[in-house]
Amino acid sequence: MPRYIVRRIVGAIPILFGLSIALFLFLHLLPGDPATAILGQHATPQLIAQVRANLGLDQPLYVQYLAYLGRLLHGDLGASFVDSRTVVSEFATKFPATVELTMGALIFAIGLGIPLGRLAGRHPNGWLDGLLTVVSLFGISVPIFVLGYSLVFVFGVELHWLPAVGQADPRLGVPTVTHFAIIDAILTGRPVAVVDAVAHLILPAIALGTIPFAIITRITRAAVIDVANEDYVRTARAKGLTEQRVDSRHIMRNAWLPVMTIIGLEVGGLLGGAVITETVFAWNGVGSWVVSAVENHDYIVVQSLVLIFAVIFLVVNLIVDIGYAFLNPRIRYT
Amino acid sequence: MTAPTIAVTRPVPQRASRGLWRDAGRRLLRNGPALIGMTCILVFVVGAVLAPFLTPYDPSIGQLADARQTPSLTHLMGTDLLGRDEFTRVLYGARLSLQLGVISVFFGLLFGILIGASAGGLGGKVDALLMRIVDVLLAVPGILLAIGIIAWLGRGNIQIMLAVGVSYTPIFARLLRGSLLALRETDYVIAARSIGASRLRILVRHMLPNAVTPLIVQATLALATAIIDVAGLGFLGLGPGDPRVAEWGEMLTDSARFLQYAPYLIFFPAAAIVISAIGFNLVGDGLREALDPRLRH
Amino acid sequence: MALLEVEGLVVRFRTHEGTIYAVNGVSFHVDDGETLGLVGESGCGKSVTSLAVMRLLPRPAGHVEGGRVRLDGTELLDLTEAEMRDLRGREVAMIFQDPMTSLNPVLTIHEQMVETIRAHTQMTAEQATARAVELLGMVGIPHPETRLKAFPHEFSGGMRQRVMIAMALALHPRLLIADEPTTALDVTIQAQVLELLRALTAESGTAVILITHDLGVVAGMTRRINVMYAGYIVETATTAELFAHPSHPYTVGLLHSIPRLDAVEGEPLIPIEGVPPDQRRAPVGCPFAPRCAWRLAACWTTNPPLESLVPGMPVVLTGDRATHRIACLNPPTPDETAAGMPSRPGFVAAPAPGSAVDELATAEIVQ
Repeated sequence: MPRYIVRRIVGAIPILFGLSIALFLFLHLLPGDPATAILGQHATPQLIAQVRANLGLDQPLYVQYLAYLGRLLHGDLGASFVDSRTVVSEFATKFPATVELTMGALIFAIGLGIPLGRLAGRHPNGWLDGLLTVVSLFGISVPIFVLGYSLVFVFGVELHWLPAVGQADPRLGVPTVTHFAIIDAILTGRPVAVVDAVAHLILPAIALGTIPFAIITRITRAAVIDVANEDYVRTARAKGLTEQRVDSRHIMRNAWLPVMTIIGLEVGGLLGGAVITETVFAWNGVGSWVVSAVENHDYIVVQSLVLIFAVIFLVVNLIVDIGYAFLNPRIRYT
Repeated sequence: MTAPTIAVTRPVPQRASRGLWRDAGRRLLRNGPALIGMTCILVFVVGAVLAPFLTPYDPSIGQLADARQTPSLTHLMGTDLLGRDEFTRVLYGARLSLQLGVISVFFGLLFGILIGASAGGLGGKVDALLMRIVDVLLAVPGILLAIGIIAWLGRGNIQIMLAVGVSYTPIFARLLRGSLLALRETDYVIAARSIGASRLRILVRHMLPNAVTPLIVQATLALATAIIDVAGLGFLGLGPGDPRVAEWGEMLTDSARFLQYAPYLIFFPAAAIVISAIGFNLVGDGLREALDPRLRH
Repeated sequence: MALLEVEGLVVRFRTHEGTIYAVNGVSFHVDDGETLGLVGESGCGKSVTSLAVMRLLPRPAGHVEGGRVRLDGTELLDLTEAEMRDLRGREVAMIFQDPMTSLNPVLTIHEQMVETIRAHTQMTAEQATARAVELLGMVGIPHPETRLKAFPHEFSGGMRQRVMIAMALALHPRLLIADEPTTALDVTIQAQVLELLRALTAESGTAVILITHDLGVVAGMTRRINVMYAGYIVETATTAELFAHPSHPYTVGLLHSIPRLDAVEGEPLIPIEGVPPDQRRAPVGCPFAPRCAWRLAACWTTNPPLESLVPGMPVVLTGDRATHRIACLNPPTPDETAAGMPSRPGFVAAPAPGSAVDELATAEIVQ
């Protein structure tokens, strides 16, 4: 098992390298001169010359790449040309919001998706299964922004049950400490603030989490049905084990495997979906930051953010793979 | 000893196997949800193709005086904030979505098949290298990859199609490669190799036709996602960039502010996206079941 | 009273594509300690019969639609699921064909054996583990203490089947049902596993129902054999008697399908014509009629009951004196059995009612 972990980590390294090369080329293959592209509207001949000198743009490509690599390994992700704040510091303030959103969506998708999928799998072609199939179909056919606005319309505008925009009500005056709205609210010790922060999370989490929910529930259902038909489940019953034992130790222990793989992949979808969700609900997270960076032609920010997203995704998948190997002894030795 | 005479009765005529496609076609037509899906797609395609004939209005021109009218007999879906007929815009939006969606998936298939076939057919170092590239592409979550490519190439129709297409390439590449790797071990391929058929011939004549079916299913499902992704890019302000062109995602962004006052401006383009996506998803699922060789008798 | 008494068992599968008539009235008894062979080709209903006895038919399609099954006097079909569960593994155990897929891949052998033991006894974990070690040793697995921690995929096929046997015999069941236990194994391993099975069950006095399509397997293992076809028992006899005097046309055909080392070179094999019956139709007449070289016109409409070969003999159902019974209206004579085909002058198998005949045929029934 430890060898498996090491091998997986080592396997990720060439991907990171490839990524860094691709992103480096991204900046340098932009139409026109990179310095002009970066400066955009601010471009003047002196500034261009300055940027060229700063970034060493006159040097051969591989030297520039090595310099880039060096900067990366030192944690220097560049700075925005819009407001000159470093990517790293800006990221620290915006990332928590995205994490909150993603966590909320994941909890919704898994917390609802797996139990429902399990029930549907145990009673295939029953009413719950049919209902879930229809809901899943809509889940994957409705884009996040459509769902988001629909939720806002129904629960925010018409029913006034839940807030429509933002992470928290600014009138409550919760001081920003960790940039996690919920944690900051908890830190104030005021239940009203906590409830408010949670309420602001509900609609965005559902909007973001619906697609993963739909997929997770379908996969869980399929996995339960497949496993229930396996020979070893029949053996378990032939041994006289209680149905509960058969279900938990034999069916679910095996059904978990494909579900875990999907969850790992869905996290990627969540990261991408966060971009749209944050735009719809006006959350100040990394997702909306990417969009504004692209619109502002803030290329260095785009480059670094894509890298960060990719690294996060790779790390999450690594964790999922290790968890999978933990559950499935057959692949520990491959 | 005389040989026994066993009366031979005329055998019951058995239906000759008519091939995977006809079986699949028949099974698809009997699949209720798939039929619903095909209806949705039909509506979508007809609306897209016949748009100019279905409406007298121009999608990019409107009278400000007519702005923000609720749906009526003259304007079936109302008018937007610039007075343009919404129904017309939805139809022309279907045109654009169909175009962008289909070509995006086409690009994805093209690159995916090239990479997957090379990797799965040739194996070895080529396989390893190509799969590393695919892994790098996969490391960046879907929409982000498309956004990144748009940031790189700028806005515009071709750029969108390339961006979305590239974000689907890994799936198709992996799917094809997986099929080819499995097929390499099948008896008929080994038999072909044993009589000296060239690798290319084996690839094209024996392996690809059998590897094609999961690709078709995935491509159909990808059409659903493509429509959504293209609209998503439009929604984020990264769409084609021509304000005269009707694009569903952009229509949603423009109308978002009026959620409370003119919800129909959001409802109709949204419904159009959802119905098209449902259509392709249902048909894709139906195809998957229809083409499943295990279900053939 | 026999250990297991099955009477008139009928099993059907109800699917939305139609009904499958899997078992159509099967009756047999098994005594304590007796080994009964259940032989037939795929689809004849032998596995389904045993699953029905265990009440493990696949849900929701499988239904027992008639008959009685009594284990030691208790009517199994009347028991609640909880009561049946108590019997499974403890009084009656079953092992299956493919040891690769019959063991849970994510649990260790230890966990799978101990759960069986602890489900039916009050043993502690340590006691159950000790018992598991003992059992693994009994089936011939070397270094049982270490092998316990292993996963099924770390064992070879033969070893896995031994583990299955160990699990099945763990609680000293009165009856063991072995469904094609060696079909998925290599020939040399087959012999080992069968011998193990024979030795262990003889030692513990466990009755065995051995299900297989391979006549060679039952030859050395069983005391009696039931031959099944299309959901019926068509012939039953002691093993020695069955091989010496096979009497049902199907059995005759089966035995002649096996190439023999002592056959005359060049002599053709005599296969059984035709294909297995379509079990989606309710059976009419004798199920073997379409393929039978001895069929009479009556065979198309009458399903012959299982009756003594020698009319008038009192019927003994079990043991070494079990009566040789067949379900046939026109059994082959000993000469015909040896030849593998009818040899009565002028005899022609009766054509199907209402069918076109390629040759004019006159049926003469030679009594």
